[in-house]
Amino acid sequence: MGAITSIEQLGKYREQVAANTKTDLPTVLVCFGTGCQANGARPVAEAFSKTIAEQGLKLDVNIGIKTTGCHGYCENGPLVALKPQGILYLKVKPEDVAEIVEKTIKAGQVVERLIYKDKTTEQTIAKYQEIPFYKYQHRIALKNIGAIDPTNIDDYILAGGYAGLAKALKMEPDAIISEVERSGLRGRGGGGFPAGTKWRSCMAVKSDTRYVICNGDEGDPGAFMDRSVMEGDPHAVIEGMIIGAIAVGAHKGYLYVRDEYPLAVKNLKIAIDAARDKGLLGENILGSGFAFDLKISRGGGAFVCGESSALMRSVEGNVGEPRAKYIRSVEKGLYDEPTVLNNVETWANVPEIMVKGADWYASLGTKGSKGTKVFSLVGKVNNTGLVEVPMGISVRELVEKIGGGILGGKKFKAVQTGGPSGGCIPEHLSDLPVDFDSLTEVGSMMGSGGIIVMDEETCMVDVAKYFTNFLVGESCGKCTPCRDGLPRMLDILTGITEGKGKEEDIAALEELCEVISWGALCGLGTSAPNPVLSTIKYFRDEYDAHIKDKKCPAGVCKALITYSIDAEACTGCTLCAKKCPQSCISGERKKAHVIDAGKCIKCGVCKDVCNFNAVRIA
Amino acid sequence: MIDVNKVDEIINRYDKSEESLLAILQDFQREFYYVPEEGMRRLSEVMAVPQSKIYAMGTFYKALSLTPRGKHTVKVCTGTACHLKGATQILETLERELKVKRNSTTADGEFTVECVNCVGACAMAPVTVVDEDYYGQTRASKVMDVLKKYK
Amino acid sequence: MEKVSVIIDGKTVEAVKDQCVLDVARENGIYIPSLCYNPEVKSSGGACRVCLVEAHQGGKMRLVTSCNYPVRKGLEIKTDTPFVHKIRKGVLELLLSRVPDSDVIADMAAKEGLTETRFRKDEGENNRYKCISCALCTNVCAEVVGVSAISMEDRGADKKPATPYHKPSDVCIGCGACVYACPTGAITMKEKGDVRRIWSKDFKMICCSVCSTPYIPEAQVDWIVKTTGKDRTFFDKCPDHR
Repeated sequence: MGAITSIEQLGKYREQVAANTKTDLPTVLVCFGTGCQANGARPVAEAFSKTIAEQGLKLDVNIGIKTTGCHGYCENGPLVALKPQGILYLKVKPEDVAEIVEKTIKAGQVVERLIYKDKTTEQTIAKYQEIPFYKYQHRIALKNIGAIDPTNIDDYILAGGYAGLAKALKMEPDAIISEVERSGLRGRGGGGFPAGTKWRSCMAVKSDTRYVICNGDEGDPGAFMDRSVMEGDPHAVIEGMIIGAIAVGAHKGYLYVRDEYPLAVKNLKIAIDAARDKGLLGENILGSGFAFDLKISRGGGAFVCGESSALMRSVEGNVGEPRAKYIRSVEKGLYDEPTVLNNVETWANVPEIMVKGADWYASLGTKGSKGTKVFSLVGKVNNTGLVEVPMGISVRELVEKIGGGILGGKKFKAVQTGGPSGGCIPEHLSDLPVDFDSLTEVGSMMGSGGIIVMDEETCMVDVAKYFTNFLVGESCGKCTPCRDGLPRMLDILTGITEGKGKEEDIAALEELCEVISWGALCGLGTSAPNPVLSTIKYFRDEYDAHIKDKKCPAGVCKALITYSIDAEACTGCTLCAKKCPQSCISGERKKAHVIDAGKCIKCGVCKDVCNFNAVRIA
Repeated sequence: MIDVNKVDEIINRYDKSEESLLAILQDFQREFYYVPEEGMRRLSEVMAVPQSKIYAMGTFYKALSLTPRGKHTVKVCTGTACHLKGATQILETLERELKVKRNSTTADGEFTVECVNCVGACAMAPVTVVDEDYYGQTRASKVMDVLKKYK
Repeated sequence: MEKVSVIIDGKTVEAVKDQCVLDVARENGIYIPSLCYNPEVKSSGGACRVCLVEAHQGGKMRLVTSCNYPVRKGLEIKTDTPFVHKIRKGVLELLLSRVPDSDVIADMAAKEGLTETRFRKDEGENNRYKCISCALCTNVCAEVVGVSAISMEDRGADKKPATPYHKPSDVCIGCGACVYACPTGAITMKEKGDVRRIWSKDFKMICCSVCSTPYIPEAQVDWIVKTTGKDRTFFDKCPDHR
């Protein structure tokens, strides 16, 4: 059918789709997020299609194979979920498909070897909702992901999509803004600025032209929340932006997507075209007379373009340099017009807030941080992936309850939050609730939601060096403190990791941090000192060990460690000697091997291939 | 020699607005495996935008390369999770085995090895992307085997 | 022109609303160092960070670049506090590291009691040749002259002005505005006989019909005639003999 031309017609259309969709029929959902595709989701989906067609199962039951967006449990992909049983199968291969069809789809039984198994208790869980990783989540922004086909607008509408828009079209702009203000929704990109306040400031500026923008430049390394939402539920973002546009009076919007997310660009484009066809975007949205349309703008490989004013310069067709002048974007943003820029996840929360109301949203989370947050829980933790939980959950719960504890039974050391603008939270503070204000109080920040879990084998000086090095490569180069200060901070940190650290280094680092945080032009620079300062604050002993004792306790900094083989553990399998690129491991078959430390380049290959955990780093 | 018709075809895919500049440069990158000077000059001419502005953009955005890349690009993700899980070892292995420095191309023009920012597949760290193919949980000892099928 | 009253270093002064703090300071005989700002170039300022001062407003203090911070009612500025000097000294130490051979930076640093840097100097392969990447040259070329012959290439510490591909520019008119705008004298312009060389390109100069001194590139005259319609014969004589 063509465009839907009224709110009533939208409701009828939804009913029609529901009637045509046999929702109680068994469905196989194959996750098609970037992670699962990398692990081979496509051949699995093809195997399902083929097997089901071959067996003529279409005659008895109609099995829809929806290719869905990222579930977020990527390490265990390809993920296959089965409705109505609610079973989740992990690490599915094409060879497993025949058995799944026979045992589960036809006979209603579970294929034990493919379901979740707790690494410590060995308990197996077949049902999706009961797996700890999913059980403790409260999915709002992620609610549709994994359950719908992101390239099919009917799926979104059937799931209740665009009901928020229908409601907003019947409200006064002021009322929409009040609803968002009351919900307490704060920006999910890192700034945590109250969304409703931003919208109201924009609306108050007198102008004929204004814009809404979605910041999809997710640049924090270790964060992939926005990618999943853009790939897996693009309509949620679109709907949120249309509602925002109505609220502030914008008729044009831009979705800025970083270059590294081709699937997100693709799915957003499909979604925008479909929304336009259905009359949900364009000159006359749902017959209301309100005009609004969206354009996709692709990034070009520049982290600094995640900064609002730099992003706007990039959209206009320029290098992505932040603006030096002291003007707020809500007053003069894109093309010097009032502009509301919000993060992907922020926009994705708006439709539900409209449908379920501000009070409902504000009932979740903490006093200062309402609602839920999508975190990317990655690093040295057992269950890695995306989790959406109410604000206020503690770091420890995230790591232990949902994350399933530290990989390999190692010791939990710290988490890094807020990416290169954030800081570390050591284990002894991990009962801290995760919300905007409590993280800032301890010297970190929520940031976009990346939570990097670190263990005893993570060197905190190396972490500080890593983030500083990242920012040196991403600095736009406009202002002196960031452009010329960060490389010199990196010099000092590198020196420390190479055993050349001096007594005065920490003081010099702290002084540089002060000049950069007070003097830099934009947020990239002003927050750059955070990873350095927080690691100095909580892990000073590690810095001292590097500087005074010339040792790296975590066993990471090459210049300060030695590789050796534990003679007791070594079985003499000779694998390491064969793989060593320096040919510096010697030993007879079945006898303990020895590394020649003089020739060893500490490449790590021997430790990687050893099946007996015999390689030691000290 | 760069096919001028292809250049114009790419430019004509988009509105004649400066908002399209970056997208066009990226399409050049995908088509020619780099952004050729002829393309940038033609773009400046067609859009009536100073050549210097396009050059600035070409050198600012690191997704763009002004020098030809290898037949295959090997991108080692250096995001935080990947860094903690061994990206450095993978990079060093590639440099050593392919006899190439990071962010440059092998002598035979086969492979360009690049460090890239987080590709957003953190749960599968460490990640290596060869051309359009993503490889999760890469191991330094196995990465050269992955490349074998691209030779 | 709405006037406002602001306090600067304890003194109440009158200023025009939205005038920048630096201009107000200068009007009142207060010294604030500056490098990347030129009042004739709207797109300039905010880059070098040497002009940072304390802005006290609404009970909060922040450091702001005086060259582009607008004065509004209720603003108090402090240009001379120990903190301002501390950060200014820090910025200058970084500039000293970047362009150790620049007299301009050395003089500015000396005023803050700074004569050397603790940090690595950009030398050898990393020599910046006195360029502090302030972009005044490219801003002037684009905004004032209107030819955009040069732009800032790359990003980060390697960001620098260049002609596209480092090849002689098709549009440069040899006017030297970039040279005059540069706060550290980092751009080379040489003249030999009636030929001026800048950005690796030679420009034939017109010689004054009275004193025979080569004084303006032909290309620059072409540009002025093209954009303003001025009579070409105006340029037969140099400014001293017109």
